[in-house]
Amino acid sequence: MNAVEIRNLSKNFGSKQAVCGLNMTVPMGAIYGFIGENGSGKSTTEKMICGLIPTSGGSIKLYGKDYTDKTVRAKIGVLIEAPGCFPQLTVWDNMMLQAANLSIPNAAQEVVKVLKTVRMEGAAGNKYQNCSLGMKQRVGIAMALLGNPTLLVLDEPLNGLDADGMRIMREVFTDIIKDGKRSIIVSSHLLGELQKVATHYGIIRHGKMMIEMCADELDASYRTYVALKSEEMNQTKILLGCKYSRVEEDEAGYLRVYDLTTPEEIVSYLYENGICVTEIKTDKIGLEEYYIDLMKGGK
Amino acid sequence: MENNTLSQRVKSMLKVDFRRMCKSKLFYILLACSLIMPILMTVMMNLMDGSVSVNAQTGLETVMRGPENAWQNIGTLPGGENMGGNEVFMMCNINMMFMAVAIFVCLFISNDFRSGYAKNLFTVRANRGDYVVSKTITGFVCGTLMLMAYFVGSVLGGAIASLSFDLHGLHAGNLVMCMLAKIFLMLVFVSIFVLISVAAKQKAWLSVCGSLGGGMLLFMMVSMITPLNSTFIHVLLCVAGGTMFAFGLGAISKVILKKTSLV
Repeated sequence: MNAVEIRNLSKNFGSKQAVCGLNMTVPMGAIYGFIGENGSGKSTTEKMICGLIPTSGGSIKLYGKDYTDKTVRAKIGVLIEAPGCFPQLTVWDNMMLQAANLSIPNAAQEVVKVLKTVRMEGAAGNKYQNCSLGMKQRVGIAMALLGNPTLLVLDEPLNGLDADGMRIMREVFTDIIKDGKRSIIVSSHLLGELQKVATHYGIIRHGKMMIEMCADELDASYRTYVALKSEEMNQTKILLGCKYSRVEEDEAGYLRVYDLTTPEEIVSYLYENGICVTEIKTDKIGLEEYYIDLMKGGK
Repeated sequence: MENNTLSQRVKSMLKVDFRRMCKSKLFYILLACSLIMPILMTVMMNLMDGSVSVNAQTGLETVMRGPENAWQNIGTLPGGENMGGNEVFMMCNINMMFMAVAIFVCLFISNDFRSGYAKNLFTVRANRGDYVVSKTITGFVCGTLMLMAYFVGSVLGGAIASLSFDLHGLHAGNLVMCMLAKIFLMLVFVSIFVLISVAAKQKAWLSVCGSLGGGMLLFMMVSMITPLNSTFIHVLLCVAGGTMFAFGLGAISKVILKKTSLV
């Protein structure tokens, strides 16, 4: 059984179609990276999964049941846009309110537990309005974790987190899906971070699912490239540009050749032209490049 | 949780709303105003008693008349007048609380949507009816406390201004019935305010303006339905009206929450 199964989902806002015929499958125990441009329909889809906006058509099933079913709805943790806290109350009070909403027995213990999970136990007494952006995000995630949900829907949960915060979140996400019964849908523009945790991906564009695959499939579809450094980088770039169709310089100062070739072939070609290669390696493009290529219509 | 009975679900939501209400500054400000306003008004009007104001254009002289009886803040005594006998001050009595509670209800509900709390709530709790019932009860309790505070303020103001507490032929039972009728009538107003607030969602200004406008339409009838010489019939009428409005408008509020976007 899948955690989320969406078929032909659509949503219209007046004459504008935000989501049209979307199909999506989130297996149990998956961290589902939900990727798309701004306005592609990610948040709208997530809001429909959470029952916050009515659908215009199609079906959403959570753990085999209709998404309006009360028993499955009670098991969703959500962080969409803002954490949903009252600014004038303390972090602790906000957490206790949500615990009361969820009718959690031993609420105080549960709140302490989730605050510890996101390393926010020391800030429980702080007023929510005085928390930094990163702290607010962590409170939002802690709130979503209350009640031991089986499905977490997180919209941009990594925004505003520092490097340590992101590491913690990665650990938290991996911990959650350990038992294989719980799933997480994460939408984020921080593709590098998402790549480190996601087990499945769905790429949405103009309200339609472009590609849906697991991390291994995606990894296999990544193109390889040859990255190199030489003593004469400018001349090397010109020379490679004459022979290969796509040569680019990356942030680390390497020249990347994306054409189907081997390092040996490049080294001998440059050697023939009097250039000595100082460093050469083959690598695969990352999720970010794959996504950009896909959006550009590349393969 | 969702398998719990309606009473259990509403109880847990009320627990949250009451906790929020008790931590809200606005609630205490409104309560304090309800208590202090009648005291200040009674004392000041008493001090102004007998003063003459002259209209500069017409030269017409108006003699300000202060309150004669402490209960004038609550309603009109048989054969008597409301506080001050001036048209403006006719409105300045306990019935103002029916309008003041609109501010609380509107800001309380719009805060749910603005903060994102509604998102968390409606994701895990599918039943919109629980929300409407809880907000209506919370608003009703707040309104009742404001009415009680105003009543206490009126008594204190009367005592400070050394006014008469004579009921002019009425008895304490009428006073109790009058207050009970007002309390139950509060349910009618709160239901209207909840409906408008739920429709306006995070737009607090819209819900406050709409509620004050909508409340004004019914405001004039409050003194007629809940006179100082109220009897059990008045209370019964208000209970019936309150229940009908709460159920009717509550159902509409629930439909609005179901059919519209909650974010």
